[in-house]
Amino acid sequence: MMETHLGNFEEVILLITGILGEEAYAFKIADEVEIQTGRTTSIGAVHSTLNRLENKGFLTSQFGKPTVERGGRRKRIYTITAYGRRILAASRDFKLSLWKQYPDIIIDSLIYGRLSIKGI
Amino acid sequence: MMADLKPPRFAQKVLLSFLREEISEEVQGDLEELFFSNLEKSTPARARLNYWYQVLNYLRPFAIKKFKSTFSNYLTMYKHDIKIGWRNLTKQKMYSAIKIGGLGMGIAACFLIALYLKEELSYDQSYPDASRIYRIVGRATTDGVIEKWVSFPAPMAKAMLKDFPEIEISARLMPNSLFPGAGSNEIRPSDNKENTYEEGFTYADGELLNMLQLPIIYGDKRNALSEPNTMVISKSKANKYFPGQNPVGKIMFLNNDKSRPWKISAVIQDPPSTSHLQYNFYLTLSGIEWWQGEQSSWDADNYVDYILLRPGTDVALFKKKLTTDIGYNYYLPTMLKGGDKNAEKELATFSLHLQPVGDIHLKSYDIKDGLTHGDIRFVLMFAAIACFILVIACINFINLSTAKSANRAREIGLKKVAGASRNVLITQFLTESLLFSFFSFILGILLAWILLPYFNLVSARSLVIPWSAWWLAPGLLVSAVIIGLAAGLYPSIYLSSFMPIQVLKGELSRGSKNSILRNGLVIFQFTASIILIISTVVIYDQMHFILNKKLGYNKEQVILVQGANTLNKEVKNFKNELLKNPHVINVSVSDYLPVTGTKRNGNTFWEESKRNSESGVTGQFWRVDNDYIKTLGMKIIQGRDFNSSMPSDSQAVIINQTLANKLNLKDPVGKRIFNGGTYEVIGVVEDFNFESLRDNINGLCMQLGNSSSIISVKVNSADMQKTIAYITSVWKTFSPNQTIRYTFLDESYARMYADVKRLVSIITGFAILAIIIACLGLLGLSSFIAEQRTKEIGIRKVMGARIGTITGLMSKDFVMLVGIAFAIASPVAYWAMNKWLQDFAFHINIGWWVFALGGFVAVSIALITVSFQSIKAALMDPVKSLRKE
Repeated sequence: MMETHLGNFEEVILLITGILGEEAYAFKIADEVEIQTGRTTSIGAVHSTLNRLENKGFLTSQFGKPTVERGGRRKRIYTITAYGRRILAASRDFKLSLWKQYPDIIIDSLIYGRLSIKGI
Repeated sequence: MMADLKPPRFAQKVLLSFLREEISEEVQGDLEELFFSNLEKSTPARARLNYWYQVLNYLRPFAIKKFKSTFSNYLTMYKHDIKIGWRNLTKQKMYSAIKIGGLGMGIAACFLIALYLKEELSYDQSYPDASRIYRIVGRATTDGVIEKWVSFPAPMAKAMLKDFPEIEISARLMPNSLFPGAGSNEIRPSDNKENTYEEGFTYADGELLNMLQLPIIYGDKRNALSEPNTMVISKSKANKYFPGQNPVGKIMFLNNDKSRPWKISAVIQDPPSTSHLQYNFYLTLSGIEWWQGEQSSWDADNYVDYILLRPGTDVALFKKKLTTDIGYNYYLPTMLKGGDKNAEKELATFSLHLQPVGDIHLKSYDIKDGLTHGDIRFVLMFAAIACFILVIACINFINLSTAKSANRAREIGLKKVAGASRNVLITQFLTESLLFSFFSFILGILLAWILLPYFNLVSARSLVIPWSAWWLAPGLLVSAVIIGLAAGLYPSIYLSSFMPIQVLKGELSRGSKNSILRNGLVIFQFTASIILIISTVVIYDQMHFILNKKLGYNKEQVILVQGANTLNKEVKNFKNELLKNPHVINVSVSDYLPVTGTKRNGNTFWEESKRNSESGVTGQFWRVDNDYIKTLGMKIIQGRDFNSSMPSDSQAVIINQTLANKLNLKDPVGKRIFNGGTYEVIGVVEDFNFESLRDNINGLCMQLGNSSSIISVKVNSADMQKTIAYITSVWKTFSPNQTIRYTFLDESYARMYADVKRLVSIITGFAILAIIIACLGLLGLSSFIAEQRTKEIGIRKVMGARIGTITGLMSKDFVMLVGIAFAIASPVAYWAMNKWLQDFAFHINIGWWVFALGGFVAVSIALITVSFQSIKAALMDPVKSLRKE
């Protein structure tokens, strides 16, 4: 059993940060989360997660350029670290290995939702 | 247009107030970017709302400034302040007790006065339409004297209602006990033989109950009192006479008069103590006509009129219309018909006024209405006194706090050296004073609670502390905080201003300004005390004078048997039966007695020959019996007493000296005087005080006649109990169904001056309070001085001064202060007391000994107070006080 230190929301944020690249700052990330997941979230919640991920060493950040629509304020650009990339890969591999062990019939029924299994 | 749309400024402020500085730039930037992107997508209002949502979503641990560490420090400091405060309180127990006691006493006094004021101000406020209910008040100027009254002719209430659509309801009240039924009666239910004496009867229109909307328990509100011979009684009386029953429809008899049965038509709630209508029995005015044509006559004024105005009526305008209408359409024709040639002129000064029902209790001091009521001037005076006591108590508190400053000086110096700012010290001393204030409040409320019964006794009220009222606890708490801060502000500023270096070196700078303030305060407090001491003595002296004055009749050993009108014709036999006892000297039957509360009237007399040429002389016309003058011990100075063996005495009168003088009768005996009929004067009685000593003796004329409610029995007995037992047994044989009711003439006389007696108690209370507060002030000053002069006293002692010398030295200054206070107080007290004594036509003269006594008491008290400090200072070891140098 491996411990990823990565919650679901954290994983989403981490992935989106990677996707956005140069444009990965709190407002844009929150915007993208809404687009990708369809769920509304607040910048504060995203910022809080980013802060946590940075503390864990998955992200690093530096100030970007100020822009007019921000009232001339700088933005904080988050960049995924090598450790962060490794943890994302490990998370993906772990899940894939779990999926590989999954019986095929049940995969179908899970996908199409026809079979209910006790305990799930 | 887009450019002037900005994120809500207040939201930004809120954000910055909690956001960590390191991230504020990026966060503000992000939120602003979102705001502008939202602006493009939706309305500005939504964008703003979303901005707020985003701001509040930043309330997350990672983003919030670190408040925690500073906050807990504050808490520790407060804990520290409270601890130091408590230690100081317990370290100097005497001082703490005096400070808390002084302030607590002030608070207790204020609290009691506040309760009293609250009750006074709540009179007649609770009627649903109180704001539209008025009592009619008449006003006229006669010979430059303004007179106000509330009695009006019988038809006036209906006339007003008819003439003015502004009036919704008009109603009359007739509580005048000159008319049988009103006032007090012997009463019994028709199926009970036992008579019971009751007070609080009045005649009234049924409309009055509707107007005031008095809560009805049984019966029909609309028709109560609408039929003749119906009555409405209060709940407590219903329970007394008809326990557990609905008394509506039951019959009651007044004074055994079976020809006039009274049917109960409704039961109302007992009048609250804060109502000016303290009646338990309302008898209907419907069907009443006291004499032929009385109900339509504008000649006699006996009815109090109340009106309910329609909403929105202009009272000032209405008043004018009312005066004109009533004056010229009703009064004037009557006066002209009566032959009054000056009618128009007299009417010019006449006006009618509307007194709001809520004002009746407090604003009727110049209106003759026969009610006992409060006085707005007293209310204001008491409110002022309450504030005054509180301010003085606070100032004393301040004085005592600053006086002991030297004890705290080193503590303050050290704290400052250790880095305490002035604010920290101010907070500390304020916390301390709050602590004292809370203790004082607890003590004050406790004191008030203990003293309330005495206060009620003195003020003749039945006040209670409203423990369960929602406002009491928060109100007291807020007051405690306010008082604590007010009393603590100056000491905290003063104490925190000490310079650390000077203080630690042992030098304490002391301003001289302070001592002027202190001295002034002590003089002021002692002035108040001395005024009150002198007032107490004067009022006490006047009371003594009243009770022992030679009145012109003998009030000792006279028993008054009341309610004797139910004996009817048996009264003569009853009298003879009483006289069989050797201890009964004389018995007289008359309702007219020389104490207030007994029967009175008003009449005009002329010498018969001058009845058409001169204006008459006013005076009382009393109906007495043959034994009246003998029984009450009056003195005939000319002519003779009534004589039962002379039938012509039925047209004879005896007058008093005053009436003789007023009528200019040189040799009154044998002269004839006129008052409706003609009477021959057969004797002149020496003037006696038949009214209160406040008034001069008026003219009096006595005639033989029947008035049989009160029987005066003059006895001569060492064993009063036995004589009374005899009278009671005789009464029982004559009137088995009515309990005997008696009182003593001298007690009735003393009751006339119950208000003076009450004033003695009140002034004594205030005097004691003032003296205690003044002593506290003096104690503060003397301890301050003692502290200041520690070194001087030390040096004097080293040089060989004796303890007595030093004590004298210390006390001298204070005696001087009290001397100054005495010099200020004496003329003020003399002026005030002289003014008070002017109320009495018969009064004492203020002797010099009163002032001597006041001064002596003040000086003694001051010396005793000061000696605590001065002896302590004188006994101090000089080594200790000089070592600090």
